[in-house]
This record gives sequence, structure tokens and C-alpha cells, in this order.
Amino acid sequence: MRVRIRFEKTGIMRYVGHLDLMRFFQKAVKRAGLPIRYSEGFNPHQIMSFASPLGVGLTSEGEYMDIDIKEQVDSKAALETLNANMVEGLEIKSFKYLPDNAEKCMSAVTAASYLVTYKDSKDDACYVDNILELKQKFFDETASINIVKKTKKGERVLDLKPLIYRFNIRVVDNKPVYDLLLSSGSTDNIKPELVVKAFHEFLGLPEFDELSLDIKRTDMFTGESDSFISLGDIGQ
Amino acid sequence: MKKLALPDDILMQIDKPARYIGNEFNSVKKNPADVDIRFAMCFPDVYEVGMSHLGIAILYDMLNRREDTYCERVYSPWPDLHNLMKERNIPLFALESQDAIKNFDFIGMTLQYEMCYTNILQILDLAGVALETKDRENNDPIIIVGGPCATNPEPIADFVDLVYVGEGETSYPALLDLYKKHKASGFDRQAFLREASKIPGIYVPSLYEVTYKESDGTIESFRPKFNDVPATIVRQVVADMDSTTYPTKMLIPFVRAIQDRVVLEIQRGCIRGCRFCQAGMIYRPNREKSVDILKKQAKELLASTGHEEISLSSLSSSDYHALGDLMDFLINDCLSEGVNVSLPSLRIDAFSLDVMSKVQDVRKSSITFAPEAGSQRMRNVINKGLTVDDIIGGATLAFKGGWNKVKFYFMLGLPTETDEDMKAIPRLANEVAAAYYDTVPKEQRQGRCQITISTSFFVPKPFTPFQWAPMYEAGEYLRRAKIVNDEMKAQLNQKSLKYNWHHSDVTVLEGVFARGDRRLCPAILDAYKSGCFFDAWGEYFDFDKWLAAFEKNNISVDFYAYRQRDLDEILPWDFIDCHVTKAFLKKEWENAMNATVTPNCKMMCSGCGAARIGSGVCHNAR
Repeated sequence: MRVRIRFEKTGIMRYVGHLDLMRFFQKAVKRAGLPIRYSEGFNPHQIMSFASPLGVGLTSEGEYMDIDIKEQVDSKAALETLNANMVEGLEIKSFKYLPDNAEKCMSAVTAASYLVTYKDSKDDACYVDNILELKQKFFDETASINIVKKTKKGERVLDLKPLIYRFNIRVVDNKPVYDLLLSSGSTDNIKPELVVKAFHEFLGLPEFDELSLDIKRTDMFTGESDSFISLGDIGQ
Repeated sequence: MKKLALPDDILMQIDKPARYIGNEFNSVKKNPADVDIRFAMCFPDVYEVGMSHLGIAILYDMLNRREDTYCERVYSPWPDLHNLMKERNIPLFALESQDAIKNFDFIGMTLQYEMCYTNILQILDLAGVALETKDRENNDPIIIVGGPCATNPEPIADFVDLVYVGEGETSYPALLDLYKKHKASGFDRQAFLREASKIPGIYVPSLYEVTYKESDGTIESFRPKFNDVPATIVRQVVADMDSTTYPTKMLIPFVRAIQDRVVLEIQRGCIRGCRFCQAGMIYRPNREKSVDILKKQAKELLASTGHEEISLSSLSSSDYHALGDLMDFLINDCLSEGVNVSLPSLRIDAFSLDVMSKVQDVRKSSITFAPEAGSQRMRNVINKGLTVDDIIGGATLAFKGGWNKVKFYFMLGLPTETDEDMKAIPRLANEVAAAYYDTVPKEQRQGRCQITISTSFFVPKPFTPFQWAPMYEAGEYLRRAKIVNDEMKAQLNQKSLKYNWHHSDVTVLEGVFARGDRRLCPAILDAYKSGCFFDAWGEYFDFDKWLAAFEKNNISVDFYAYRQRDLDEILPWDFIDCHVTKAFLKKEWENAMNATVTPNCKMMCSGCGAARIGSGVCHNAR
């Protein structure tokens, strides 16, 4: 049976990359004594998959992984023992059994929400007075947002507009906070820094440094744009 | 949130920032305000290498069991971070608390290989601690080093305050207790060092003076400056491996360490007595752990780490008395739970092949032999008790079992080596390839067999019977490698053979340090100042800078590396008593010259001197 685990990756754990995180969880699941299922063959590995890798430097309140286990265990107890095997900056938020027909989180994910702000006040360029009006022009009142995306084969023009499901800005302490819901998953995976970069270019701001952004993923979703469901709301 | 010593913008621009954040599962958290002693335990190489080291894991666990001590870890910042720390004056910090180690009581470093000596200076430099002991003051940390190279610490004598000679489990309690006493009553650095010199195994280089002969530059005398400082340092050894401290938990690094598995030490020391091998001499006597303890420790460590692989650690696992019992346990109890058993270098025989076929994919894995020398004469010189029949027989068994890849390790430049001995290396490999074609019928073969030969260049080490032997110049090593390569091309089965050899410049430098004395210190200091560090990493090794540092300080490579030492010469490490006597080493040197084999410790006692310790193989029933 398959279990979906929701977890947070915050604080200093932002510096731990995806592959390292996967290895951490493989060991944590072993320490917690969960009856995880292994693949067959000479090098059996745990049946464990992650919804979407989180880049180094980003934090998240809504990360997901699915694991297959051999026998049912009590969800609450499993959540507790797993949390006893976490480190500062990693916390298990839910442990839910998925229905038999549930799609794996990795292929199910279609969108992700982010909160993006600026790390330090050093990037003064972002404090544009009429930022909210300009945002209307950049997003709400436009039919397309064409950017040039570099791919392995060269460059191609990509229209971001249909892939951005929500683009809101709040100004908190004189700093813009972007509230984004973006297409995610295997086909059109849009990184939040790409969207902010396009906005910066629209504003005519000089050089964009993506390292100046503080990006937090808040959740991941499945379904179509009119009916997104949080990956964490599936199963029980 | 835990504070970090490095700012975000640095962490985001360096390679593998997770090396520097600590926070690993099973790392020890203490409130520094609650302890008397803060100890920074350092492996002077990159994180992934250092985190794999068992000795540090043992000491970290042992020191943190003391309520009055907080032991934290430090590794060498990679050059990318090194430059940024220098640029911005960020002092080197310990991973757990992220506090600057300049304010610690001790900085301990392990010397696992000679090529880490400049990294010791890097640690001190980044920490903001004076590089030389003579410049340190009362409030500076005590710099202590240990590990295998501490059996000849003279090349770094100027940089360290204390040298721990021997196995860390024994004298640390006394040393820390002494430190605490001194710290409580107005710490005086010199008074502490003087007292510390009386603890067994603790060597204080600054309390000794060396004079040299004008005639040939060899040592004339080596003696303590004061009457109450011991003239001889006796290497400390754990007597009973079952009752000694061993961690029940090990840290789980985020960045993949070289050893990403449980490492279970099954025994210390080796019965074999190979004459080139320092570990085989200095870790005498061979001391085994009981199999019941090992089973318990294996279970405990797998549970507390969640590792999916366990590996046995020892110098020669095949010699462990209950290996079959232990392997059965690991295979039956651990394999079923998704845990792999990785096999250390075992002697290839029917037993080990049977075990390997259970834990490895035969088609993908290879069989490794370490004959170290190609001809029987040469193997007798080095006392490697392995015959051609052992090798061909083992390989044939492996081929029958389905393996078709064999790796061989050899050394070039051993004492008395002739061109014939070198040519014997590819000839042996050719015979093994021939055995494959004789053993495996054509229809069962999956292409050719692959026989890989690797050679390294021999470096004479202190406390071995070869400690007097000369080395060769870098060009001579390459000539020898070429002889092997040319001979390989003349073999019938050459298409099944592959040959790898090492660079030779670094070998020469290793040789200088291994048998060096304290006159090397200024050269090492100059080399560091000119930019040498991470010398063990090919991409950072700069031989020309080293040669310049040697020239500036009148260091003759010839004197340290290429010279045949006289058997009666006072060697820089003679003041250390490693239990194995000089008389025994001399006898073994003569046996080597006569190509005479000395039986292993389980067959008979050859009177090396280690029996004094009163435990291990010397006192077990043979």
C-alpha cells in the first residue's frame, strides 16, 4: 500500500540538495522501522518517490513523497517515529494512505504555489512605487508574456501567461512579496525566479540576481487550473 | 533556527554548502556553557573524506560521553570556500555550534597521510591560530595531532603542541583531566605542556632538542631538554578490544561521504607482517573482537543509522577467527532487511567467493588480488605469503563462479627489484587471463575477461623493515612503469589486460615527509605560504612550488628520499617505542635481502616485541 508523506524543509536545510535529501529520507525511514517495500533484484532500493525536487536555497512548507509499505501501520505513530528521526528544518506534517488508484505524486503534480520576497534590502531596485499598478499591466491586462528560454538545444520563446495561474503582490514592510501559483511537473515546470525575472525585465530594472530572492514553496497541487487539489488532501 | 557561521550569499556560491552547516542526524548537541573543555576534532581534508573516518567517529563518541567535554567536528574548507573566508576574514568554525575554533580548548587533528601536512596549516591559518607552537599564548587552543603519521611527527614538530602517539582510546581521559586541573588554577601553557609530556603516549616536540652531524647531516642526538621529560614515548595500544569504547551511533552526513555505510571494526592489527606495511607493524599485536560483540554492534549501528550497507573494517579480514560465523549472521539477518554487505579485501578462496556470490552481482563485480609484487622472489622479499598457485587457483575458482573481471594491485620500486621482477607483473596477469580461457568454455564466455593491473610506487615508512631503503627519482619510477607497460604489450592475452599507474612526483614528496625530520618544518611552512594545500588532490598538487620551498630551505630530496640509510643511523622517529623492536626490524631487513619468508603471527611468534602488551594474538592459543 502507498503512503503520501507531507513535510516541511525550512531554515538551514535549504542548503541540502535534493539527492542528499532523498538519501536522508531513505535512512530515516529505516531508522523509524517502517516496513518499506523494496524493489527486486541485486541492488534492491526502497520504493520512494518525491513530487518535485526543491532547488538548493529554497524552503518549503509543502513537500511530498510517496512510499510503498508492506503492511499497514498506525498513521499517527508512524508520523511520530518519523519526526523523531528528523533534524532541525525537516518536519513531517502528514502521513496518509492513498487510495489504490491514486496517481504517484511525481506524475500527479501540475502546479505549485510560492511566496517570493527579497532577502536583503540591498536590492533597492525592486522597490518601485507603483509596483501594484505595473503588476496589473504586466500580468492581468496582458494576453501573453513571452520570454526566451534557454534549452539544451538552443533558445525558444515561451509564453508564460497560460502557465501562471496566480500572480499577486503584497507589499510587506515596503518589500514586495510575490504570491505565485505556477505550472509545475514534468511538462511545463515554471520556476518562480523565471517569473520574477520576467517582471523585473518588464519593469526595466537592471541586472536580475536570482540569488537575491527568498523563495518558499507553500504547496503542490494536482488537477486542472479550475480545480486544483493539494497533494496533501488526497488519501487519509 | 540554528545560526550559521557562513552568510547565505557564500553558502549559495560554493560547492556543496551542506558540508558546512552541521545538523547531521546523530550529531551531538550540547550547551557550550555547560562544559569545561571544548574540543575541535579535525580531519584535515574535505568533508566527504573526513566524515568517512572511523577513528574520528570513535573519538567523537568517546569524548562526548564525558559530561565536561564538548567535542565538535571540523574539516578542511574546500579551496572555493577557503578563498572567501580569507577574503572576508571569516574564522574557521566547528560544525555543531558554528563557533570559531580559535576559542576552543583543543584543536585535534588526525594525520592519516603525509600529504595532509599543508592542510594542517590551512586549518590553523583559517582558525586564526599562530602556525608555530612557539608563537602561541595562554589563551590559544592546544594543538594536538594523532593518527598513523604521528609515528613520525617530526616534519610537523614546529606546528603542533602535543602529539598523541597511539590509539586514542587510552590516554585522552588523563590528558583532559590534567587540562581541566590546569585550567581551573590559572592556565599556564608551558606548565601544562610540561606535565602533559609525562602522560603515556603524549609527545611534546618543543621539549626536545635535536643535533645533527656536521659530516653527513644525520641526527647526532635527540633528547629531552629537561630531566623530567621522558626520553622515549611508548605508543599507546588498547589491550582489550571487547571492552573498549565503540560508538552505538554514527553521524549521517547529508553530503554523501566516501563511506556511506556502517563500518564495523572487527579487529586491529595484522598477523601477516608484510615488510613494506606500516600498519602491519605499528598496530601490532593483532587483537580481535569477539563475534558476539560484533553481531550486537552491527545490529545496533544499522538501527541507529538507517544505513543500507555494512562493511567490515580490518587490515586482513580473512584472518579474523570467526569470519564465517559473522558473515552468516550478516547475510541471514541483514540482507533480508534490505541491507547490503560490502566486502573488504578478502583473500580469494572458495569461502570468500561463496560469500561474495551471495552479496554481489557476480556479472558486475570484480575480484581483487593484492599480490603487491609480480615474481615469487619479490613476494618473498616483501613477506607477502601469496604464491602463484594461490592466485591462479583463486582466479580459476572465480571464473568458474561466473566472474570475468579481476583487479591486481602491485608496487613498483621495492627494495632489490629488478627488471625481471617488473616484467613478472604482466606475465602473472597474462597467466590469469590464460586460466580464464582454459576454464570457461567458449560458449559460456561473455566476451573477453578483463584483467586490470594497477601499480603504485613504494614509499618506505618508519617502523617497517624497509625504513632504511632508498627511493628512486620520479623518472626512474616512470621507467619502471614503462617496463611493465611494454612487457604487457608482449603478452599473448594483451587484449584482456589493462594497466594503470600513478603519478610519481607526489610519491617522492610523500617519501620525504614519511622519513623526514624537523628541519622540514620551515619548508612546509613556505610551501603553504606559496599556496600549497590539498596536496593529496592531484588538481591542487604543485610540485614546482614544493621544489622551490625545499631549495629555499636547503632541503635535499636526495638526503631524505633517495639515500640508503645506515642501519645504525639515529632515525628521526627512534624516540618512539612502537613495541616492535629495532632489532626485529633489522632482522626482517636481512630476511628481506635474503628473500626469506617469516611466518605469520598465528603460525609462530617471531619475537617482534609486541608481546609486551600482554594481549591479542601473542597470548592466544595458536
